[in-house]
Amino acid sequence: MTFEEQPTTEGQDMTGTPTALADPILEVDGLVMNYQVQDGMVSAVEDVSFTLNRGESLGLVGESGCGKTSVALSLIQLLPDNAVVKSGTIDLDGEKLLDLSEEEMRQRRWSDVSMVFQGAMNAWNPVYRVGDQIREAIDIHWDPRPSTAEAKARIAELFELVGINPDMVDRYPHEFSGGMKQRAVIAMALSCDPKIIIADEPTTALDVIVQEQVLNELRAVQENLGMSIIYISHDIAVIAEITNNIGVMYAGKLVEFGPTKEVFARPRHPYTWLILSSTPSVTGERRKLAPLEGEPPNLLDPPTGCRFHPRCPFATDQCKEEEPPMEYVDTVHRLACWNSDQVPVGLLEAAE
Amino acid sequence: MARYLVNRILQMLLLFVLFLTILFFLLNAQPGDISAQFIGNPDIPPEAKEILRRQLGLDQSLFVQYLFYIKNVFTGNLGVSFSQYPRSVADILLTALPRTIYLFLSATILAYVVGFQTGKLVAWKRGTATERVTMVGSIMLYTVFYPWFAILMLWYFGSQLGWFPLGKFLDPTKWFDAPYTANQVFNAMLLSIFLALVVVVAIFYFTGKIEEYRQRLIVRRVLLAVTAVVLIVYWMITPMSPFAVDIAYHTVLPVTTLTLVFYAGITLLTRSSMLETLREDYIFTARAKGVPEKIIRDRHAARNALLPVTTSFVLAIAFVIGGGIVTESIFSWPGLGLTLLGAVTVEDVPLAMGALVMIGVLALIAHLVADILYAFLDPRIRVQA
Amino acid sequence: MTEVRDRKPEGESATDADLSDIQVPDESLFKIRLKLLWRSFRRNWALFSRNRLGVLGVVIVLFFGFLAMLHPILMNTVWSEKHAIYDPVIGTDAVIIEKTVVEDVNDPLTQMSFTEAMIAGEFFPEEGMIIEVSIAPAPPNKDHYLGTDPFGRDILSQLMFGARAAFTLGVIAAVSAVVLATIVGSVAAFYGGWVDTWLMRQADLILLLPLLPLLIVIGSFWDIGLVQLGIMIGILSGLGGTAIILKSQALSVKVKPFNDAARVAGGSSRHIIVRHVIPNVLPLSFLYMMFEVTGAIFLEATLSFFGLLSIPMSWGIMINTAHTQGYTLFGLAAWWLLFPAGLAVTLFAAGFFLIGRAMDEVVNPRLRTR
Repeated sequence: MTFEEQPTTEGQDMTGTPTALADPILEVDGLVMNYQVQDGMVSAVEDVSFTLNRGESLGLVGESGCGKTSVALSLIQLLPDNAVVKSGTIDLDGEKLLDLSEEEMRQRRWSDVSMVFQGAMNAWNPVYRVGDQIREAIDIHWDPRPSTAEAKARIAELFELVGINPDMVDRYPHEFSGGMKQRAVIAMALSCDPKIIIADEPTTALDVIVQEQVLNELRAVQENLGMSIIYISHDIAVIAEITNNIGVMYAGKLVEFGPTKEVFARPRHPYTWLILSSTPSVTGERRKLAPLEGEPPNLLDPPTGCRFHPRCPFATDQCKEEEPPMEYVDTVHRLACWNSDQVPVGLLEAAE
Repeated sequence: MARYLVNRILQMLLLFVLFLTILFFLLNAQPGDISAQFIGNPDIPPEAKEILRRQLGLDQSLFVQYLFYIKNVFTGNLGVSFSQYPRSVADILLTALPRTIYLFLSATILAYVVGFQTGKLVAWKRGTATERVTMVGSIMLYTVFYPWFAILMLWYFGSQLGWFPLGKFLDPTKWFDAPYTANQVFNAMLLSIFLALVVVVAIFYFTGKIEEYRQRLIVRRVLLAVTAVVLIVYWMITPMSPFAVDIAYHTVLPVTTLTLVFYAGITLLTRSSMLETLREDYIFTARAKGVPEKIIRDRHAARNALLPVTTSFVLAIAFVIGGGIVTESIFSWPGLGLTLLGAVTVEDVPLAMGALVMIGVLALIAHLVADILYAFLDPRIRVQA
Repeated sequence: MTEVRDRKPEGESATDADLSDIQVPDESLFKIRLKLLWRSFRRNWALFSRNRLGVLGVVIVLFFGFLAMLHPILMNTVWSEKHAIYDPVIGTDAVIIEKTVVEDVNDPLTQMSFTEAMIAGEFFPEEGMIIEVSIAPAPPNKDHYLGTDPFGRDILSQLMFGARAAFTLGVIAAVSAVVLATIVGSVAAFYGGWVDTWLMRQADLILLLPLLPLLIVIGSFWDIGLVQLGIMIGILSGLGGTAIILKSQALSVKVKPFNDAARVAGGSSRHIIVRHVIPNVLPLSFLYMMFEVTGAIFLEATLSFFGLLSIPMSWGIMINTAHTQGYTLFGLAAWWLLFPAGLAVTLFAAGFFLIGRAMDEVVNPRLRTR
C-alpha cells in the first residue's frame, strides 16, 4: 500500500476542506483498563485520552497487543469477562458510557456506536439470510419499529450505497464474495444511523484491489454522510489514506497523537519514526528499510518509566525511571517522550 | 434440494445392496448350508423344502444364489421361518415392526427434544453449579452399562415400587374381548404420532415467517398447545382408548429407560456444540448489534449448534438400535429385537437374517431422514449438488 | 539468528561435506527422541491433569489394571490350593449358612419354608428351627468377600478375572480399530481422488451397519472367543466413523508446508505418510482409542449378557448368570450378584470415557476453559 506525502496544511482535511471547529462527539479521558489473568493483572490500556470530532475520522495504530482493540471494545462495552476498567471516562455525545447499566448500553449498541469488523467473512451467521441479519439490527433499534416494507427499502438503499446489487438482500452469506461481505458489513453498520462507527482492521483479510474498494466506501461514508469513524489497524498505510487524525499506541499507552498529515510528514516520537521508517513508499524516494528490532513488552510486568525504552535508540536513564508526560507541540499534535528532539527530521535509513 | 435428495436416496440404495451382499456372505459362510438346516428340521414337509431349494436357487451356483437373494429381498420375499413354520418371515417381521418403531420413535424424539433444550440451557450457564450437576449426571447416565441399567430400572420401578408392569406390552386379561388387535391399536398410535410430527414441523415452518421474536414464540406455543389438546382429546374419546392406554402404560418404562441414556448423550453433545458455536465471530456481531442475550442463545447459537447434533444422529442410530434390542429383551417387548434374539436362539436362520435385513432398512431410513433434516437446517448444503 | 555458513573453499567438490563446522549433539538420535517424547508427555500431563474428571478416569483404569494383574498372582499364591473353590469359571464352594424355618418366607436368603426344610432332610420341621444348608448364591462372608454366584463361584475372583478379560478385549479392539482407521484415514487423505471416495463410501456403509444385531447373528452362527471378538470389533469400527474423523485430521496435516518440504527432499509417498502425516494424526487417534475401548466393552458385555459368546468368564457373563438364574428381580436382596459386575462394566467404560474427554480438551484446545 502507498501513502502519499503531501504538504501539510493546518486545519484542513484530506480534500482540503477546512475542518469544523472542534465539535467533539467522542471524548475518551484517562482510560485505564486491565485484564485479570492467572498470573496477575495485564495492564492493557494505560491512561489513554483522545477526542473524535463530528464528521472526522481517527486512526489508532500500533503493533498487536498494544491495546488498540481493547480501546475499541471499551467503546461498545463488549470487553471479555476478565476485563476491569480501573478509571477514566468515555463520553459519547454527552453520555457517560461507563456509567450505563448493561441493559442501557445494549440499547445503545449499534444505534449509537456500530462496528465494521475485521474478517467480515465470519461476522455473518451462516444459516440466516444477509438481509434478515441486517433487519435484526433495525428491528431492535429503530423507534418506532418499521414495517417490513420500510425496512426492506432501507436495506436495499444501503446495499446500493455500498455498491452491492439489492437483489442480494435475500441471499445467504456463503453466496457473497469476500469483498461483498465486507461491504455488506458496512451497510449493516450504517443501518441504524450510528453516531460513530468503529472500523476494526477493516481491510486486513482482503486482497489489494478489494481493499481499495472498501476504503473508498468508508471514505465516502465519512464525507457524504458526515459519519465519524475510528479506524483500528496495524497497517499504517491504510490509516494514512483515510484518517484526519492518528493516534499511535504502544504497550497500552498513547505515545503520539495528531493530524495524520503532520505525523506522517514529521513523526516526532521515536516509535512512530521507527514504524514509518520500516514502511516502504511507492512514490517517495527509494531507501533501505530499517525494521524495528525486539518485541513488545509483557504487559503483566511492563517496563518502568517509558514503556518503549528497551527498544528505543534514543533512550536515556531518565526514560528508564520516569514516564514522560503528554506534551503538546501544536494545537492538536501531542506526544510523550523525553528525547523527541533527538528524532531526526528524515526517516531512518538502514545500516549497511 | 431435490437433486440432493435424489442423490442421497440413490446412495442409500447402493449402500443397501452392499449391506445385503455382506449378509449374503454371512449366510453362506456359516458352517453347513441352509438346506442342511432344514433338512434336519422335522417340522417342514419335504415338498416345502423342495420349493425353498428352488426358490433360493440352492442347486445353482453361488452367484445365481446371490442374485436370487437380492431379488427376493427387493420383492419382499424373506423366506419362511423355521421355528414358526409356515409363517413367512416377512409376516412375522411386519407384525413386530410397529412395536419397534414405536419404541424407537418415542425414545428418539423425546431424547432429542429434551436433550437439546437441556444442553442449550446448560451451555449458557457455564461454570455454575447447575452445569456441574447436570454434566456429572449426564456422564453417569451416558456411561452406565445399559443392560444393567435396564435391569435395575425394571427391578426398581417394576418390582420394588410396583409402579409399572414387569415387561411385555399389554395385559392379556384386558384384551379378552377386544375388537381390535394389538397391532391395529399400535398402528393407530403410530399414525397419530406421525401426524403430530408433521403438524409440528409445519407449524415451525410456517411460523418461521413471522418476524417478531416474541410474537413468533407465542403463536408457536399456542399452536403447539392446540395440537397437543386435539391429540389428547381424540385419544380420550376414541373407542380404542382403553386399549391404547394399556399399551401406553406398558411403554412408559422401556421408553423412559432408553430415552434416559440417549438423552444424556445428546445433552453432552449439545453442550459442546453450543460452546464451540459461542466462540464464533457472528455471536460477537450479534452482541455488538445489541441483540438481547436470550435471542442470541436461541436464534444464533442454538440454531447453529443444532447442526452437529443432527449429524450426530447418524452415528447414534446404531446405538439406538442396539439399545432398542436390549430394551426389548429385558422388558419382553415383542419387537424386531426380541424377534431377532429369539430367532438366533433357536437357529431359525431365515428369520434371523430377515430381521437383520429389516433392521438394516430401518437404519438406512433413519440415516436418510437425518440427511434430509440436515439439508433443511443448513443452507450451505442446499446449494451444493 | 542462525549464522550463514561460510561458502566452501574452492577446489572441494560439493559432495565432500565439511563436517568440522557442524555442531553434532553428543547424544544419539534415539535418546534425543526419547527426551522430547518425555518432555511432551509431561507437558501434556500437566494440561491433562487440570481436568479432574480425567484424572479420575486414570485412577479408575489403574484400579482395574491392578485387579487384573492381581488375579493371576492370587490364583498362584493365596488361592493356589483352593482352585476348586476360587476358580472363577469352574470353582464352586458350598457355603454353609443357617436358615430359619418359617411359615411365610420373606427373605429367601435367610429363611426357608417347611417344604424346603423337608427337602433338606428334616422331616418334621417346626417354626423357628434353624437348619444348616449350603446355598448358592451366598451373600458376602469371610471366605468370599463378595459372596458367590448361583453356581457357587467366588464373585471377587470372577470380577478380577473379568478385569483381565476386559483389558484384553479393550486393548485388542482399540488398537486394531485405531491402527486401521489411522492408516485408512491417512491414505485416503493423502491420495485423495477415487481412493478417498471409495474408502469413505466403505466407511459410510460401516457406519450404517448396526453393529449389535450383526454381532448377535455372527455370535450365534459361530463360536466367538475374546480375541476374535476384539479383532472383529476393531475392524468393523476401525473402518467406520473413526476413519472419517481421522481422515479430516490427516487432511489438515496434508497441506502443511513440511509435507512439501519432505517431497522436495525426495521422500516417497509412504515415507511422507508414515513420518509426517501419521504422527500428526496420532494424538487424535490415541484419543479415539479411548472411546473404542468403551464401545468394545459395552459390546462384549451386552453380547455376553445375551449368552452369545464363548468366553470363560466376563462381567457380562456374570450378569447373564444372575439374569438367567432368575435373580434379577431380587434386586438389592441379592445385590452382590448384579451390582459388582454392572458397576465394573460401567466404571471401566466410564474410566476410559473420562480419559478420552479430558484428552479431547488437550488435543482440541478450543474446548479448554479459560
